Amino acid sequence: MFMEYAWLIPILPIACFVIVGLFGKKLHEGGGFVAIAGAAIACIFSVLVAYDFITNGVDGIFGAPFVTEMKWLVFPGSDFVINFGVYIDGLTCIMLIFSSFISTMIFVYSIGYMGDQGEKKPRYYGEVSLFLTGMLGLIVSSNFLQMFIFWEIMGLCSYLLIGFWSFDHPEAKQKSSAAKKAFLVTRAGDVCLMAGLFIVLYLFGSLDYANIFNAVAIEAIAATNPELLTVAGLLIFGGVIGKSAQFPLHDWLPDAMAGPTTVSALIHAATMVKAGVYLTARAMPLYVFNSVNGEAVLLFIGIIGGFTAIYAASMALNNFNIKKVLAYSTLSQLGYMILALGAGGFLMAHGYNTGEEHLVALGVLGYMAGIFHMLNHAFFKGLLFLCSGAVIHATGTEDMKQMGGLFSKLKVTAVTMLLGSLSIAGFPLFSGFWSKDLVLEAALHAGTHGMTGFTVLFVMGMITAFMTAFYMFRMWFMTFVGDYRGTEHVHHESKIMSAPLVVLSIFAVISGFVIFIGFGNLIADMLQESMGFFWIEIESGMDIAISIFTNIWTYVSIVLALSGIGIAYLMYMKKSVDPAKFNKNGESAYYKLLTKRYYFPELYDQISWKLGYGIARIVDAFDRNVIDGTVNGLSGAVIGGGDVVSQMETGHVRDYATFVIAGVVVLILVFAFIFIGGI
Amino acid sequence: MEFILPLLLILPFVGAIITLFMGGERAKYAKFTALVFSVATLALAIVLMTMDYVTMGMSEVWIQTDFFVMNFALAVDGLSILMVFLTALLVTVVVIFSFEEGDRPNYYHTLLLLMELGLMGVYLSADYFLFYIMWEITLIPMYFMISWYGGPRRHYSAIKFFIYTHIASLVMLIGIFAMVFQAGIINGGIADFSFAAVAAASPMFAETFQVLVFGLLFFGFIVKMPVVPFHTWLPDAHVEAPTGGSVLLAGVMLKMGSYGILRVCIENFGYGAIQWQWVMIILGIVSMIYGAYACIAQKDLKKMVAYSSISHMGMVLIGIGVLSQTGVEFAIFQMFAHGLITAVLFMVCGLAGHNIGTREIPLLGGMAKMMPKWAFFMMFGFMASLGLPGLVGFVAEFGILYALWEFIANTEYMWMIVFGMISMMLTAGYYLWSMQRTLFGDLTDKIDFETGVHGGPVHDISKYEFLAMTIMILLIALFGIMPSLATDFIMPYAVGLI
Repeated sequence: MFMEYAWLIPILPIACFVIVGLFGKKLHEGGGFVAIAGAAIACIFSVLVAYDFITNGVDGIFGAPFVTEMKWLVFPGSDFVINFGVYIDGLTCIMLIFSSFISTMIFVYSIGYMGDQGEKKPRYYGEVSLFLTGMLGLIVSSNFLQMFIFWEIMGLCSYLLIGFWSFDHPEAKQKSSAAKKAFLVTRAGDVCLMAGLFIVLYLFGSLDYANIFNAVAIEAIAATNPELLTVAGLLIFGGVIGKSAQFPLHDWLPDAMAGPTTVSALIHAATMVKAGVYLTARAMPLYVFNSVNGEAVLLFIGIIGGFTAIYAASMALNNFNIKKVLAYSTLSQLGYMILALGAGGFLMAHGYNTGEEHLVALGVLGYMAGIFHMLNHAFFKGLLFLCSGAVIHATGTEDMKQMGGLFSKLKVTAVTMLLGSLSIAGFPLFSGFWSKDLVLEAALHAGTHGMTGFTVLFVMGMITAFMTAFYMFRMWFMTFVGDYRGTEHVHHESKIMSAPLVVLSIFAVISGFVIFIGFGNLIADMLQESMGFFWIEIESGMDIAISIFTNIWTYVSIVLALSGIGIAYLMYMKKSVDPAKFNKNGESAYYKLLTKRYYFPELYDQISWKLGYGIARIVDAFDRNVIDGTVNGLSGAVIGGGDVVSQMETGHVRDYATFVIAGVVVLILVFAFIFIGGI
Repeated sequence: MEFILPLLLILPFVGAIITLFMGGERAKYAKFTALVFSVATLALAIVLMTMDYVTMGMSEVWIQTDFFVMNFALAVDGLSILMVFLTALLVTVVVIFSFEEGDRPNYYHTLLLLMELGLMGVYLSADYFLFYIMWEITLIPMYFMISWYGGPRRHYSAIKFFIYTHIASLVMLIGIFAMVFQAGIINGGIADFSFAAVAAASPMFAETFQVLVFGLLFFGFIVKMPVVPFHTWLPDAHVEAPTGGSVLLAGVMLKMGSYGILRVCIENFGYGAIQWQWVMIILGIVSMIYGAYACIAQKDLKKMVAYSSISHMGMVLIGIGVLSQTGVEFAIFQMFAHGLITAVLFMVCGLAGHNIGTREIPLLGGMAKMMPKWAFFMMFGFMASLGLPGLVGFVAEFGILYALWEFIANTEYMWMIVFGMISMMLTAGYYLWSMQRTLFGDLTDKIDFETGVHGGPVHDISKYEFLAMTIMILLIALFGIMPSLATDFIMPYAVGLI
């Protein structure tokens, strides 16, 4: 009964956006409480919808998607109908709940964090509300175009919020440049995604999930037009690379930290960047049932994910900016999710192509791991960003060299951040532990049962796990232990900021246990009933746990995580190992390469400068000299030479008018003679 | 209800006459007269949209000789109805926007209303002679608009605009004569200038004749659109034209070109269109990319927007060129969408010149602090123009590029969709870059905010300007969220054409 009204979920925040936009200045806290109310109601509604979906099923079938649509646009030539509607299945429910819940928490936190922004508050709450509309709208969309619309609205809000301080602020220039970079780099992905949608629309005659997720239809297309289907899959993944900041379009995300920390937590960690992962999960049938090239594409997806994971983690190792460390960590964790989806999808595709059901089961586990990690990451990374925000709020700096010894002053923050760090590092029984190990297991299975490339990715994932533990605890120790190195007075924690931290930290610790209460079944049912997969089965939560604890690699990864924490402890707490020994006091070539972000910012600049402004200058010169020069020259020649421009400026309009009229008369006469003579 | 169509011409004409004689003391009331007449025209246009407008055509013999018949014929269909609405809307909005115009306001409004007369005439006429006359009528008020109310190089620009588009009109006129007289021969002697008579004969046009005459007419129209390489009059005209003139020039006058291609070329020359198809597509693509690149290099905000019009009109040409129902539908939709969006863009640019004193991007910076309302409209307009989903431009862009893709999907030219992608990237690039440099960053120190340029301090927009732009952005959002409001008008025409 709630599902019929699920379209209200994205409507609520946009209503808040309108209210805050129109009356924000008069409202308490610049409309902050309106935004909180909107998010909270959306959250409650999401839970009700999910409850409705899980308990009743649609028409008695558990896991079958609930779809309601209306016509939005019709393409006359081909009779394509683009709908606007709501599509609810297990994935939708999961995404809805965690997105709206974390948004609510972050909005509450914002009351404290953004409390000193004065007149800018209505703008902030309006934009985050609009953002939430984009996120929730994307999740409930019933087709790819609708999803794309909300996808871009999120991109707009991301742009606006990264650039929140892009004017009337001491660092306005750098902030506006970061916002522009984020928009343009993700736009490169979006453009690919749009082209991918063209191909899907062309091949399937529809963009509705309900029509596309059909194994028979996809296989038929794969048989007749495999190249186009493959290209479509790759282009859609191009959108993912942009939005989820995967290599090589990853470099906008570290810069995006120019926005307020709440925005980084909300948009660039917990929700928006997950949209790419969501899209990969959603579009999975297009890859899996592409029997010709699907496996290769999925290997490619796995490589992008696995490479981004280790590549981004490396840049977090030596960064001193607390937000940047978390940003690289986000990139790295997103890479894990993409890797899991690639590996899981690969196993499923391989299973279907060879007829081995047990591979499909392993694939489902990997696919689930990707979504599971997305859920856990949303909690612990949202938490970590908010903690870093609390630290920044207290000390007034993002530089960890100016921190240290904050444990005594920021107790709640320190403890909750420790919980978050243990979670992301994969400390046993914390949420990150479950999902990370399932992700790595998926890569391992894909390696042993199919393509050895995945084994390499598995090893890279293991190394990443070590690096993650190290850089997270490096950050924690540098921030909270030792002596305070800053000069600014440290402010106290406020309750309104601490409360969301406590709530989120509880979820960050326990969210891993959802696999024991049917998380896997929800995903498996969704794959089977709404995405057209078959031979779907999944082990019970207990069996998954047993498989984790009977797997030797789990213990290897625990050891790696603990040794990462240990090394960080030795270097930054006990200080018995000097990190300067390894990087030659920051002079080693690799250390510099990391601080330069592997020269990617320069690469982007060069590309946009050469391919954009460089060609533009040529076009402009050509336009002024060649084309316009010809026009002016021609008119001069016709009218009789001389400096035409100056003549024209003296205003001999009558002369030209005479000319023109004489011309008309002559032409009319000529044609009249020709045609009338013809009669 | 046949009187509605002629009334759409009569109302602006009467308004123009009245304002013309409101000199001296009464000049300050001219704006109210103009507002009344433009709102009445707009109301009439909206009433027309709700009616069964296709059946409302009228035709009276105007000039008749033994050889030819010229009619005063008016009609409206799915192609023209949105253009009629857009014309009436933009004139009204411009009147509101320039409510504080102090320089010879009576003549200003006379010119606006005369322009409305000409534009309405172009979109309503159902006779080639009337069409041509109306086409020429639009030139004259625009010429005076630029040369009386324009910037420092207004005379050069006005003359360039006049001569350039006039030469194109003449070539078009040759095409029209050729077409009408040929139709007359086929129909049995008397050359009837009405659309219907030509349409009846057009299937019998010989193939070479079709290709030739299509070319003549096509040239006439693409200069108006304008299409690269016949576009250089446009940036010059825009840079010098006053804001109201620019809005009408880009908002509805450019559409005369694409309207003409559909109405005259495509409707009458089926074979010619197929022969010219690739020329249309390639010229469209060239305009789209070339215009976008030219935008990046511009330093004048208004010149940048002018080049962006070239880029977006290139898309219209692509949509027409693929000769499919989808292509035509979204080409018309893009004409409408671009009209709405570009009005906001030119208002914003005009305000930069008026309220700040300069439109030079390098001189600006951090203006969002000084002029938050202006900054909001600028961002909204730029976002709409770069095809932000949820706004009207996206639907048009998506439809046209999809139509292009559908056309090339099964050919070896599949890769050409890359041009669409490049143009989307470039468009986002120049808009974001220019916003970064004008609105954001540190507040510029190159402008004296206290004394300003026009005698007063730099100030944000007035309430009339706010109202005018608010109307436009509400419509941009409305048609973006519910594009079927517009496509329902277009679809019958697109389906009937191809």
